[in-house]
Amino acid sequence: MKKSTSSSKHNRKTPRKSPRNGRRPWFWRFVFRAGAIGLVLLAGWTVYLDAVITSRFEGRRFEVPSRVYARPLELYDGAGISASALERELGLSGFRKGDGSRAGTYQRSGGRFIISTRGFQFPDGKEPRRRLALTVYRDRVENFSVLSGDASPIVRLEPAQIGGIYPSHKEDRILVQLEEVPALLPTTLMAVEDRNFFDHVGIAPLSIARAMLANIRAGQIVQGGSTLTQQLVKNFFLTRDQTLVRKANEALMSLLLELHYEKGDILETYLNEVYLGQAGTRSINGFGLASQFYFGESLRDLQEHQIALLVGMVKGPSYYNPRRHPERATKRRNLVLSEMEEAGLIDSVRAAKAKGKPLGVSARPSYSENRYPAYIDLVRRHLARDYREEDLRSEGLRIFTTLNPAIQYAAEYAVTDTLGRLASGETREALEAAMVVTAKDSGEVLALVGGRDPQYAGFNRALDANRPIGSLIKPFIYLAALEQPERYTLITPVLDKSFTLEFDDGRRWQPKNYDKTERGEVPLHEALSHSYNLPAVRVGLDIGVDVVKDTLQAFGVTSSISEYPSMLLGSVTMNPVTVAQMYQGLATSGFNTPLRTIREVTDAGGEALSRYSLEVDQVADPAAVHLVQYAMQETMQEGTGKSAYYTVPEELTLAGKTGTTDDGRDSWFAGFSGDLLAVSWVGRDDNGPTSLTGASGALPVWSRFMAQVPQHSFSPVVPDGVQYQWVNAERQALTKEHCNGARMVPLISGSEPTQTVSCSGNLQRQIEGWFEGLFR
Amino acid sequence: MNTRFLIYSATAAAFLGLAGCASAPGESIYVPVGSSKAEAPEPPRASSKEDKPRVWRKSEQPEVSEPAPRSSSPSYRDAGDSLSPAAVSLIQEADTLLAQGDAPAAIARLERAQRIAPRSAEVYFKLSEAYVASNQLGTAEQFTLKGLSLAGSNARLQRSGWLLLADIRRARGNVAGADQAEARASRL
Repeated sequence: MKKSTSSSKHNRKTPRKSPRNGRRPWFWRFVFRAGAIGLVLLAGWTVYLDAVITSRFEGRRFEVPSRVYARPLELYDGAGISASALERELGLSGFRKGDGSRAGTYQRSGGRFIISTRGFQFPDGKEPRRRLALTVYRDRVENFSVLSGDASPIVRLEPAQIGGIYPSHKEDRILVQLEEVPALLPTTLMAVEDRNFFDHVGIAPLSIARAMLANIRAGQIVQGGSTLTQQLVKNFFLTRDQTLVRKANEALMSLLLELHYEKGDILETYLNEVYLGQAGTRSINGFGLASQFYFGESLRDLQEHQIALLVGMVKGPSYYNPRRHPERATKRRNLVLSEMEEAGLIDSVRAAKAKGKPLGVSARPSYSENRYPAYIDLVRRHLARDYREEDLRSEGLRIFTTLNPAIQYAAEYAVTDTLGRLASGETREALEAAMVVTAKDSGEVLALVGGRDPQYAGFNRALDANRPIGSLIKPFIYLAALEQPERYTLITPVLDKSFTLEFDDGRRWQPKNYDKTERGEVPLHEALSHSYNLPAVRVGLDIGVDVVKDTLQAFGVTSSISEYPSMLLGSVTMNPVTVAQMYQGLATSGFNTPLRTIREVTDAGGEALSRYSLEVDQVADPAAVHLVQYAMQETMQEGTGKSAYYTVPEELTLAGKTGTTDDGRDSWFAGFSGDLLAVSWVGRDDNGPTSLTGASGALPVWSRFMAQVPQHSFSPVVPDGVQYQWVNAERQALTKEHCNGARMVPLISGSEPTQTVSCSGNLQRQIEGWFEGLFR
Repeated sequence: MNTRFLIYSATAAAFLGLAGCASAPGESIYVPVGSSKAEAPEPPRASSKEDKPRVWRKSEQPEVSEPAPRSSSPSYRDAGDSLSPAAVSLIQEADTLLAQGDAPAAIARLERAQRIAPRSAEVYFKLSEAYVASNQLGTAEQFTLKGLSLAGSNARLQRSGWLLLADIRRARGNVAGADQAEARASRL
C-alpha cells in the first residue's frame, strides 16, 4: 500500500523531536489520532476509488459507435459491373492492389481480376475467406471461379463502411478480444511499455524511481515510468494533467484494478482504450480501429513492421503520425523493432528485414467520415422509427444499408456535372438539384443526392424540398382512367381544347397548355406522352379528382393531397423520395414496394436485431399499368422525354415522365429502366423562377445518370388480358401493319375497336379478325 | 395440415426441374460508352461527344425533328427472365433452410436471389412458399401475384402460380378467390 503524504511528514519529524522533550504521551496521542483520521480518510477515499473502478469496469466499458455499411457487392457470372467500378468498389471496401493472394489484396490485368477476400460476418451467416478469379467483359462478370476456399457460384465481398453514428465524445473504436489479437502485439507492447506487466501489482516502484531520477535531473517531468495498468487508469478515469495528487490516485487505482481483475482483462481493455490518432473531430482509439485507420487492414492480418509502428505510436500518436511525419515514425518503428529483437520476439534477420520495409500506411483512411451525408440522413430517419439515438451512438450496432457506391457515384457525377451547364448567370448559381435512385423491383434506395454539392451535409432536398410535382401526376390520372377499359383505352380520343371551370364561390379556373396551342382531338397515349395539360384535366375531371387522389394514396403517398382540380396539373407538393415511392408501383406493374435503406441491423456481436424485408402489395390492375408504361416509353421515344437520347444510346429502352411548374420553378423527371428507377429535381431553394422545364433541367441530369450505368432495358412482360394490336387511332379501328397511321398498341381484352380499316381506308365490321382470333 | 400439403405440392410442381431451366446468365445488358473495353478507365469526361455544352430546348414539347426520330417503338416481352446459376444456387440453399424449418434464413437467401434475378417469376413463388411456411399468408399471396405478373406466356409457371394462389386463398378462407384461381389454372 502506498502511504499518504501527510503521514510521511510526521514520520520524518518524530525521530528529531523525541529525544528533546518528555511530552511523549500527548505527542503520541496526537500522532495516533492524526494517523487514525488519515487512515479513515484514506480508507474512505480508497473505497470511493474502488467504486469508481468497479462501476466502470462492471458496466459497459466503452461507448462504441454504430457502423453503417454499404450493400456488399455480389460477384457471380453475369453480374453487371464495369472493371473500373469494380476496382473502385474494391478500394472502398479496403482492398489494396497487391499480389491477390494476401487477404485484402487484389491483382488486375486488363479485365482479369484475382481477389483475396478477408471474409466477413454477415447477419445471415459468415462469408469465409476466399481467393477469387474473374474477368469483366462488356460490363459483365465472366469466368467467375473460387481458386481457394469454399466453392460457391456467388460470393459477397466485405461491404464498404460508409459512415458511423458516434458518441458525443467522438471516440471511435473497433473492439477486439485478446484471443483474436496477433500474439506479437501484446508481447511487443510489453517489451516497449512495461516489461514486467505480468509480474507487478499495478505499479512498479523501481520504474517510478528511475523515472523520478530522470525527472529531477531534467528539472521537469520527462519520463512516466508508468505500467500499462497505470496508463489505462490514467486514460480511463483521470485527467491528463501531471499533478502529485493525480499521480497518487493513479497508483492507488492501479493497485485496486489489479486486485479486482485479471491481467488479461486489463490488457484487453488497454488495447481497446489507447489513443492512437485523430481524424477530424473523431479520435482513433484502440488497436482494432488504428489498424483499419492506418493500414486499411484487420488487426489479425498485420505484419511485424506494422505492429511495431502501432506500438511505437502509443508514445505520441500525433508526434509519430506516419502520414504526417513518416521519418520520425520510421525511426520510432525501427527502435521498436530493435526492442522486439532484444526481447527475443523476432530474430535479427527478420528484424533487419522489417526495418527495411516502407511504413505501408494506406494513402488515406479507408473510409472518410460522412462521405454520403444525404443518404446517411435518410438511414437515420429510418432507424429513428425503431432505435433510440443514444443506443445508436453507443451500442456498436452494425447497420447494413442498401447504398450502392457505384450508383451513388454515377448519381453524384450526373448532378454536379450537369448542373453547371444548365441555365446561365445568376440562375445557374442559384440552381439546386436532388436525385433518388432505387432498385426497381426491390424498392431498395441505391443512391441519394441532396444538393449540388453532394458532400455538404446541409439541407437535404431529396427529403425536405417539398415542391409541386407538375405533370408527374399525369400517369396517375390516365392510370385511373385506363382502369375503366370500357370507357378509356390508349387510343380513346381526348379533347385538347380550353375550357373554364367556375366554382361555387364564383372563382374561375382556366387551365392552359404549356405551349398555349390547342390540338382538338388527340389519342390518349399521345396526350400523355406529349404531356398536354387540357386533356389531362378533362380526363381527370371526368373520372373524378377523388379517384385520382385515391390512386396516389394507393401508390404510397401519405402526405396530404388537395382535392382542388388544380391538383390535376400537379399543384400537390412532394419531395423527391415520395415521388420515387409513388413511381415504384408504375415501374413494377402496379406493385407498391415500400422504399428501404436498411436490410438488417445487428448488435456488435453480429446477432440480428431487425430485418427489413422486401414487401410487395398489388395496388393497381397490372393490365392498366402496362398501358401507362407504354405511353411512358412513348414519352422517351416521341414525346417530352426524347431529348434523353441526346445522351443515352438508343439501345437502352427507358420509360419516364417530365414535370414542370409555373415559371420553371420546379423541373422534374421520373423514370425507369429494367433495373433502376430514378427521380431528379432541379430548381432554386428560394423557389424563384428559372428558364428550365422538366425536359431541359431535370431530364439532362437523369439521362446523364442513366447513360453511365450498365443495366437492362425496360421491357415489361405483357400481363394477362392484354393484347398488342395494330390500330388506326384516328379511325378508331384495327388495321394492318403497313397501313397508313398504323400503330401497335396494347389493349385490354374487350376494349378493342370493333371495326377494321384496310390500307385503302375502307371500314368494315371486325368479324374476320374475330374469326382469325378463334383459330389462331 | 391438408392445405399446407397442397401448397407444398403445388410449389414442388413449380420447381420441379428448376435447375433445368437455369440458363446462361441473363439477356443483353446496356454497356455505357467508354467502358466496353475491359481495360477502359473512367468514362472520359472532356472528350466524349455528349459532354459538349449543349443548348437545351426550353420547350417541354420539342419539335419532332430534334433529335432524329427514333425508329423503335415501346418494348414489351412475353415472359420474365430465367434464373442464372447464381440465383439457382441461392434458391437451393433456401430450400435446404426451409426443409430445416428455418424460414427467416430462407427468406434472407431468397431476397438475395431476388436482387440478382428481380424479373424471374420463380423467385417470387419461392418467397411465397417461405412466407407460407412462416404462416404469413397475406404476404405469401402478394408474392404469388408478383410472380404471376412475370410468368407471361410460360404456361408451366402460370399454372403453378395460379394453383399456389388457390391454395393460399383457400387457407385464408377466401373460397371464391381460390375457386377463381383454380379455374385459371385448369384453363392453361
